[in-house]
Order: sequence, then structure tokens, then C-alpha cells
Amino acid sequence: MTTLPSFAPDIIALFSERDAPLTEVAVIQPADPFLDMAGEALRRRIFLTESETGDALCLRPEFTIPVCLDHIAKRASTPRRYSYLGEVFRQRREGANEFFQAGIEDLGEADTAAADARSVADAAALIARVLPGRAVEVVVGDQSVFEAVLAALGLPRGWQKRLARAFGSAGALEAALADLAHPPRNGVLPEPAATLVMAGEPEPLAAHIAERMAEAGISPLAGRSPLDIARRLIEKSDLRSVRLSDEALAALKDFLAIRVPLAQAAAALEDFAAKSQLSLAAALARFAARAERIAGHGLDAEGVQYDAAFGRPLDYYTGLVFEISLPGSDSPLAGGGRYDRLLTLLGAGKPIPGVGFSVWLDRLGEALEAGR
Amino acid sequence: MSVTLALPSKGRLKEQAVEHLGRAGLTVVEPEDVRRYRATLAGRDDVEVVFLSASEIARELGAGAVDLGVTGEDLLRETIADSEARTEVAAPLGFGRADVVVAVPDVWLDVDTMADLDDVAADFRARHGRRLRIATKYWRLTQRFFTAQHGIQVYRIVESLGATEGAPAAGSADVIVDITTTGSTLRANHLKVLSDGVILRSQACLVASRKQRPERDAATIAELAAALGAARGA
Repeated sequence: MTTLPSFAPDIIALFSERDAPLTEVAVIQPADPFLDMAGEALRRRIFLTESETGDALCLRPEFTIPVCLDHIAKRASTPRRYSYLGEVFRQRREGANEFFQAGIEDLGEADTAAADARSVADAAALIARVLPGRAVEVVVGDQSVFEAVLAALGLPRGWQKRLARAFGSAGALEAALADLAHPPRNGVLPEPAATLVMAGEPEPLAAHIAERMAEAGISPLAGRSPLDIARRLIEKSDLRSVRLSDEALAALKDFLAIRVPLAQAAAALEDFAAKSQLSLAAALARFAARAERIAGHGLDAEGVQYDAAFGRPLDYYTGLVFEISLPGSDSPLAGGGRYDRLLTLLGAGKPIPGVGFSVWLDRLGEALEAGR
Repeated sequence: MSVTLALPSKGRLKEQAVEHLGRAGLTVVEPEDVRRYRATLAGRDDVEVVFLSASEIARELGAGAVDLGVTGEDLLRETIADSEARTEVAAPLGFGRADVVVAVPDVWLDVDTMADLDDVAADFRARHGRRLRIATKYWRLTQRFFTAQHGIQVYRIVESLGATEGAPAAGSADVIVDITTTGSTLRANHLKVLSDGVILRSQACLVASRKQRPERDAATIAELAAALGAARGA
């Protein structure tokens, strides 16, 4: 049994001051949205059970997905801010299996720079309310700047997507870059597919693939269609003798090594773009506007770092990501980011931008105790 | 003092395990009442033999409930969360060979490697409104291979309790992770193994559970491991 942290009322007061009404989220949730969004790796880390009718249920492992699902189900108007404070349940080798989190989800705000900056400021304010006067480090990253660099380098679409997926995981990114610099040999295609691929027309190739699907008893409607396969095969074949150039690799490495105070980040990115002769104007304008907004919230400009390689390898994060930690600690007190694809993936009829953060109240409590 | 040796209770694996013990000079004396599941080794009162299913053997080794067992490495790695910490392969035995592999429909002409599958999985939801589905009974091995080793995050596992190779044609999954020996079942089902899609080359092993035990028992285990390991070449 876990008791509510003593500082919970302070956080709830802060939510109210910051126009983020507290929302109720059921403890027992359908498991599929979490597994669909975060992947099967989550399965071993959540508490799963089954309903009498065989549906997979779990104890809520986090708040963002349920808050977004509720928002979609209620067809609530936007922009709208939701705050929450409650227990989450995760299987951990170390640490308790149930602990409190609090945070704010900000849905549908069209001024994304303003919403991003406010999210960072809200998280910092929440921590400052509980740990007044304590120095913290804020690190921000941006998926969209990395994607703009990939596009400006003129990399093939498939490569851009592959590298963008690996963004935030140093190991995966390194492996993907090595693969593109030295692509593995493809298998030899059987005839008549080889000739059809050389001809480069997707439709006749798709017709051939459809015949083979029929022979194998695989429905062309259940999953990948013959045309999907044909298009990707031709694209892959077009790239078979293409290698990632040394210039592009060097530019990507230069970019990923950028780590500067946020106040200097826009200038550092301008320098990088000039040196690498890349046009990143639109992405940099958005980046600079947000950096200015963050500074406008009075956050200590030297205490906020921009790390060009910082991201989260989950496909619904689209822009800003951030973490707030005590200096020298490797478990962040707060984590947040922009997830403009999440609501669409969860079934929203129209795109709804979103940004939010979550604070680990167990870690906040430990920091409070340690500071006494 | 005695150690418990768990042997597969039925099928080809049982026969091969008993034969292998025989080659090592160890004769399994089965109980006269066939409904009993305990046996002995002739002339060895320091070893007690129990018959269990191969997956139960893996589980009991993980729990430390038996000292030694003959089971497939695939079951060992799949059944126990931290198999390296809880158990130790004392001797690979050279029979029961099978590979745990990732196989896709062979009509996926554009997919040869895990990197190709990563591409396909990433686009799947946008194109088909659901994640890529993998049919398997090897949850743990699949997750580790896809997520930890290849950085593939977005897929769903569909539990398969038999005839996994039929799942793509049945429409219940897109790809499979399954065990294969010759590959003929996969070929008959129009599936191909990815070039870097071998998750584990498995064989039957003598496995010891890691736990504190009297010196005499540890010596018995080392002796059996040496004998069974040597019998492999015989």
C-alpha cells in the first residue's frame, strides 16, 4: 500500500493555478493501447490480467495514453489541458511496483512553441514547488530538427524514416548508419520477379506477386498487399548500389555531437547548417521560436541544455523531448515531450497536437528527504 | 545426500536422453509400475531420476527444484526470465537440434533481413491500421531478439500453441517465430527464414540449476556433466 505523498496538495494547488484541471483516470485499463503504442517490450513491465470475456486488461502503467483516450471518447473541445496525480503500476526489478506520478497533458494547442515552452515551465515549476531553491538540470532535444537534417541531406525516403526511428538510441542509430554505409547484400531474386523489378513498373510486378500470394493461400487484403511489396522491392532495388556518402555521415556525426546551453543552441545549429551547407531554415525558425519562449518563462538559460542526439525511439514523439534531473543524477525527476502522432494512432478522427510531461513523485520524495 | 536428475518423460527426446546416458555408462532403471515417474541410475544411489515434460524441466531448473535436467536450450531460455543467472549449461548433448527462427511469407520478395522487417513493421500501422503481428510460442526469445537486439519496437505477439507455421495463411499473423530442423515445414507453408533471422541454434543440454549445495552433490554434478559431455563424441 502506498500513501499519497505529503506534498500532493501543493502539486494540486499548482495545477489549479496553472489552469490544468485535475482529471480522473481509471486504474484498470484495456492493455492493448499501451502494447500497441509502446510495443511488446512493455508486456513484461506491466501488470496484465484478463477479463472474464478474454479482453486483456492492465493496471495503468502511465497516464498519457488513458488521458488521450478519454479525450477522444468524450469528443472534448480543444485546446484543453488535463492534469493528473495518481499511482502507476509497473513491474520493476528495483524499486516499488506502485508509485505516484503527476503531470499535465496539453492537447490541441495550435501555437506549438508556446505549448512546448509552457510544458517545460510547468514541469520545472512543479519540481520547484516541492524542492524550492534546488538546482536542477533541464535537457531538451528535438526529433523534428534531426528529421530536417535528414531531409536536407537529400537522403532517400526509406533511409530518412529508418534513421528517424533510431533517433534517441545511440546503439540503434550507429547500427543503422553502419548498415547504410555498407549495405548488406540482397538475396538473389527468382525469375520472373527479377526481370519485372528491372523494368521498374510496380503494377505488373504486383500482379505476379498476387499470383504467388494466391498459391501460398495468403490473403492480399489481410496485411501487406501485392502493390506494397512491389513498390518497396523496386525502391530497394533502386538503392542497391547507393551508399551513405562520407559527407552525409560526417554531417550527421557533427550534428549529433552538438550539446550547448539552449540560449546558444539556435546559433550553434545555424553554424552547423552553414558549415554543412544544409538548408534547415523552417526547422530552425521553429526551434528558435520555442527556445525564446522557454527563456521567456524565466528558466535559467544556462541550466537548460540542448542535446542534439536526445530523443525517444517511439514513433509517436514528433518534436520536443525534455528531462529534468538533479545535477549528477541519472534518474530524471520529470520527462516530457511532444506527441503529435499519438492521438491519431489512438483513433482520433482529426489530428490533435499534444505535449505533456510526467513527474516521478517517488523520486521527488526521495530528493526532498535527502535535502532535509 | 543425492542430486535430482530430471529427464524428458516421453517421445524421441526421452529415448535419446536415455540412450545418451547409456553411452556414458549410466543405465536408467525405470520403475516396474509405469505410472510412477521416479527412477534410478543402476549402481548410483547418489542420483535420483524424475521424469517430467521438457518445459517443466526448464521451469523446475529455474526454480531450483531439481539439480540437473536434460532439456532443450530453447525451452531453457524461453521459460526462465534470467536463465543465465539461475542455471548453467553443464554439457551440450548434440541431439534434439533445432533452430528458433524468424520466418516471413516467401512472397515478401523485398524482405531478406531484420532491417527490412523493421522497415515493414514501422509502416504497418499507417498502412494497415494495426501493428505487425508475430505468431509464436517463444514470447521471451522473440521480444529479446526484436527489441533488444534489433531495436524493433512496434509489433504485437500473437500467442500460438501449435501449427504456428500456418498462421500467415490463416490470417492470424503476418510473420512467425518458430522452431525448425530441416526447414521443410516452413517451405511447405511458403515461408522463408530471414538471412539474419536465426534467434537461437538449440540442442538438448544437460543443465544444472545454480544454488548452494553440499560439496559431494556438486562433485556428483561435475562427474555426470563430464561423463555426458564425453559421451557426445563417442
